[in-house]
Amino acid sequence: MRLARRLRPLVFLVPPFTLIAVFVIYPILATFYYSFYDKNTGLLSLDNYKEVLLSSNPLNIIIARSFSHTPPWGALVHNLVWVALHVPIVTFLGLIIAYLLKYHVRGSTIIKAVLFLGIVIPPAVGGLIIRFMFEADIGIVPILFSYVGVESLSKTWTLYPQTALLALILGSVWLWLGFSVTVFAAAMETIPRSHIEAAKVFGASTWQIFYKIVAPQLKPAITVVVVMTLLWDLKIFDIVYASTGGGPGGSTTVLALVMYNYFARALDYYKSAAVAVILTLVVIPFIVLIIRRERG
Amino acid sequence: MAGVPRNLLIAGIVVLIILVIGAIFIATRPPQPTPTPTPATVKLKVIGPWAGAEAEYFNKVLEEYKRIKPNVEFEYSTVRAEDLAKTLPLQLDARTTPADIIITPWGWFIVEMAKKGHIVDLTTVINKDDYVAGVLDSVTWDGKIWAAPFTMWLKPGFWYRKSFFQAHGLSEPKTWDEFKSLLDKIKGISGVKNPIVTGDGVGWPISDVTEHFIIAIGGPQLQLDLISGKVKFNDARVKSVFEAYLVPLIKAGYFSEPIEWTKAVELWWKGDYALYFMGTWITGMVENPDDLGFFPLPGAKGVVGGTDYIFVPKYSANLNVALEFLKWLATEGQVVHGSTKAGKIPTWVKASPGALWKPMQDVYRKVQDLKLAILPDMDDTVGGDWQTLFWDQLKLLWVSPDKLGSVLDTLTREHPATKG
Repeated sequence: MRLARRLRPLVFLVPPFTLIAVFVIYPILATFYYSFYDKNTGLLSLDNYKEVLLSSNPLNIIIARSFSHTPPWGALVHNLVWVALHVPIVTFLGLIIAYLLKYHVRGSTIIKAVLFLGIVIPPAVGGLIIRFMFEADIGIVPILFSYVGVESLSKTWTLYPQTALLALILGSVWLWLGFSVTVFAAAMETIPRSHIEAAKVFGASTWQIFYKIVAPQLKPAITVVVVMTLLWDLKIFDIVYASTGGGPGGSTTVLALVMYNYFARALDYYKSAAVAVILTLVVIPFIVLIIRRERG
Repeated sequence: MAGVPRNLLIAGIVVLIILVIGAIFIATRPPQPTPTPTPATVKLKVIGPWAGAEAEYFNKVLEEYKRIKPNVEFEYSTVRAEDLAKTLPLQLDARTTPADIIITPWGWFIVEMAKKGHIVDLTTVINKDDYVAGVLDSVTWDGKIWAAPFTMWLKPGFWYRKSFFQAHGLSEPKTWDEFKSLLDKIKGISGVKNPIVTGDGVGWPISDVTEHFIIAIGGPQLQLDLISGKVKFNDARVKSVFEAYLVPLIKAGYFSEPIEWTKAVELWWKGDYALYFMGTWITGMVENPDDLGFFPLPGAKGVVGGTDYIFVPKYSANLNVALEFLKWLATEGQVVHGSTKAGKIPTWVKASPGALWKPMQDVYRKVQDLKLAILPDMDDTVGGDWQTLFWDQLKLLWVSPDKLGSVLDTLTREHPATKG
């Protein structure tokens, strides 16, 4: 009887663990294994990693060997540039917009709904829209710059190495901003109105209320937004694929696109697996760091 | 017998007589023809690269085959070559196939699948002498033919509107100087943004115009040698094509910035641009194909011709029916397709040019009159990740012509035949 009671939990655990083992653990282990697999000799070696890291194909370069002041800098560096620009912009802009909508704008539900549309758009379609947003003569961004007389930015941004990466990151801000605004707006609902009103009674300014009352209480929401945006940036693919394909001259390529190029263009699954492992290794430290900070 | 009722006896005799007469009638009746069993309907799954109007033109080919073979039905799906290359290899590795017949313009991809043993050898199914010379080269590997050619498109030169040329007193150039003079005249026309519109997409329209310059100035053999890797991209002959001809035109603003290629058709047709380098399928994309004219670069001895190839995965559940359809598609099916507005010509040499759609007859005649050799498409033939690199580097060249040196070095370094 006692044995049967001990085994009972296993009966419930076996089905989910089987599914996890088949659909999660096995693919991870297989990817890791194949990343070392030499298709010519059938042996395990570091050659796939060596060739991937030393590739001279501009669309597949992971880290450029020399750096100029404009891209291409290599896929990994481009991913980090996404993180460096996209995460703070989306977080701070989302926070400020959510705050203004919550406490200073009437009828903000409609504005929030409009902002949320970006999240509903499939990223691949978003990539095409970004391409047209930054296209000379028809795109809103070049038209605006043309209107104010900045000729150097009234061209098609995605065609030039100097502006292509920035265009994609800014376009991605537009697509992803709705997520951060929604998370922050939901979190602000949990802040008691009395806290804000008490601060007002004591003469706190709008900025002081935001900085000292609202923002500290949104820490868990900020962590969610930062982690999710970070993941979005590190695995970014669809937008780049649909808008520039990593060009011009490899100036917008990212790790997930390099993985795709090896997989679907070179039909080399083993090198593709090596890039997948590199991408995972890049993501893990960020996640561990954020989780530790959150626990601390 | 005395005990048997008389009426019952008579009834028994009558029944017996009826049975005997019936038996005699059946036995002496001439045999009735056995109804021929209706062949079971077979549904063939076909994957092709065409969507929209192009798919409608191909559908006419399928309809014609259904008329001939009523027991065959089709389920057509559009899968672009790029998408096919990323999904099909895994499906075939799993010994399954999404379609019985697959059509793609990428010969290199078919050969890759053949090397893995996934597709049917067609060496004895089609007769290679029935096709335009060289068209099977890119799908031949290990001495065997792995795909049948379908119709062909040509990339014959710069397209223009006859009405536009007439309105502005322009004519087709016969020399390089006349070509430059034509571009200058067009540049001076009010309302024209650039003389030549550059198509963009994933990048192939720019590679098309570049290949045309290589063929026209360097000669057809240079195109073939670049494909095979016998000549490198940073070779002096290639450099001179770019340095002396193409790059000066880009720098002088004769070409527009790359514009999404279908949008470029609209802008060019309404007069924002005067010339557009494009394939023959453009004839089916404009309002009035009779207003279309084209000219190759002066001195051109060849033009690029691209073909869609048909192949059959080994794992098709209807292998025999699929092969029978393939044979028809690669012969009579081409004639049907050539007669539509698809803007294609058959690669099957037995097809009559008279059966072509009228605007394509004019194009075909002009190509014949100019004695232009039909050459393979460079990026479609080399394939792999070099193809996307080629497109990307040329897009870079278009906006940064000063980077010519690094572009040519990159193309040399990464070409599969000259790599390393």
